[in-house]
Amino acid sequence: MSVGPMRNFAENAKKISIELMESNEDLAEFNEHLTEYYKQLNETWVEAQKKVNLKIPEIPHDAENYEAYKRVWIDIFDNDFTELFDSKHFGENYGHLVSKELELTKHWNNIMNVVLQSANLPNKQEMDEVYREIHSLRKRVSKLEAKVRQYESKEKGK
Amino acid sequence: MKKISNELNIDPKMVENILKFSSNITRASELVSAPDEFNFDSTEYDVAYQEDKARLLHYKPLTKTQHKTPIIIAYALINRYHILDIHPKKSWVKNLLEQGFNVYMLDWGSPSNMDKYLDFDDYVNGYLHNSVEFIKNESSVEQVSLQGYCTGGTIATTYAALHPENVKNFIATAPVIDGWKDTTVISNLAKHMDVDKMVEIVGNMPPEFMYYCFSVLKPFEQGIEKYLNFFNNIENENFVDNFMRVEKWLSETPPIPGALFKQWIRDIYQENLLIQNKMYVGNQHVSLKNITMPIFTQVAVGDHLVSPECSMPLHYGVGSEDKTIRIYPTGHVGMIASSLSQKVVLPELGEWLKERS
Repeated sequence: MSVGPMRNFAENAKKISIELMESNEDLAEFNEHLTEYYKQLNETWVEAQKKVNLKIPEIPHDAENYEAYKRVWIDIFDNDFTELFDSKHFGENYGHLVSKELELTKHWNNIMNVVLQSANLPNKQEMDEVYREIHSLRKRVSKLEAKVRQYESKEKGK
Repeated sequence: MKKISNELNIDPKMVENILKFSSNITRASELVSAPDEFNFDSTEYDVAYQEDKARLLHYKPLTKTQHKTPIIIAYALINRYHILDIHPKKSWVKNLLEQGFNVYMLDWGSPSNMDKYLDFDDYVNGYLHNSVEFIKNESSVEQVSLQGYCTGGTIATTYAALHPENVKNFIATAPVIDGWKDTTVISNLAKHMDVDKMVEIVGNMPPEFMYYCFSVLKPFEQGIEKYLNFFNNIENENFVDNFMRVEKWLSETPPIPGALFKQWIRDIYQENLLIQNKMYVGNQHVSLKNITMPIFTQVAVGDHLVSPECSMPLHYGVGSEDKTIRIYPTGHVGMIASSLSQKVVLPELGEWLKERS
């Protein structure tokens, strides 16, 4: 059994190890959603390109019609990708992807909190408390200032 | 060149175009100024009032006489207010000044981590309300005209509902109102977002996330065609000047305070409380029926950021009897910073406002 700084060190090392293990699980899930994300993009690209290929033979290959070709390509790709981004399956997967990315950030934050605390520095949670307190104080000051202004304008009116 | 094009069976003019395009790319750094060299503020102003990072800008008059009721513009939460004064020939602010209006603009500033707890209440009942009170005091008027653009339209709508006694006329320009009817990609992403987790972990909504949201809106037109046009027109000074100003504006998105972002996504896009008269701001119930002053709603058919279906319900939801709606054949930015806005949108707004100011 260790005491003092070594005990702290052991506890911190344990916390960090747990965070790393958990982040591995989240990383695996993040990768699943990332793969699905790129799969959706890739499938949409292939389908859109097929549609463009069907249209190309109708457009002559010269400088005058280059603009027409570009327009067709951009319109088809924009329509197909907007349809994808607007779909439920994209929205859901993207939501999960961002959520897992946030979980990974949370693990990183937790690790940083342990490190900062061991160095006697304020961690994220403590800084959040300070920000919340500043916000509440600013609100109170603003209300008091408004009351003073109201009082002053009443005095001027007298 | 002819030999190459003959061998490949390509129109020689096309090869010529490709070579010119390549040459334009290499010359870009010589022909185009750096974004830092563009100055946005084309119309002169004073900072009339400041609270935390929010600033109330008061533009200097351009006419000898002015209409009695001042107008305050509540800009959006995304990007900065500069788009309303991006170029002297396309400036929303300058046009209103030339029509004889006394114009104020509320610049929300750029929030830092310390501002993550700022919420709707702070923006509506704090910064906007205090600015309106300041203008009333400075101009010796009882009421002001209020204009809200985009998400600033949402803030202005809640303000007009909570403080109707302060608002003489209300102008809603592409306001975000009915999240469930919004047909844009932004709405789909917002509906599937775990906004509580996002704000808890990230704090303020970072600009990078906003850039992602913009990138999925017309990705090929905005991500490819726009830049092809830029390089094709690199010798056209006017085109380059306009392009660079808008690009600079687009790249300067400030973060959105976490608490404000959370309520905005949840109450507008996920639960759609505002249009159902179920929204609360700082424990005060927001009912659109309280908006009884004259209201002018402006929407753009081609708006891919806030669809007309999302903005128009405001016109039908308010309690006003004097209400006007205009639908313009342009987009979200085109409605406020284009030749169409100068020739059609602003003159119509000016006429409407003059009769009521």
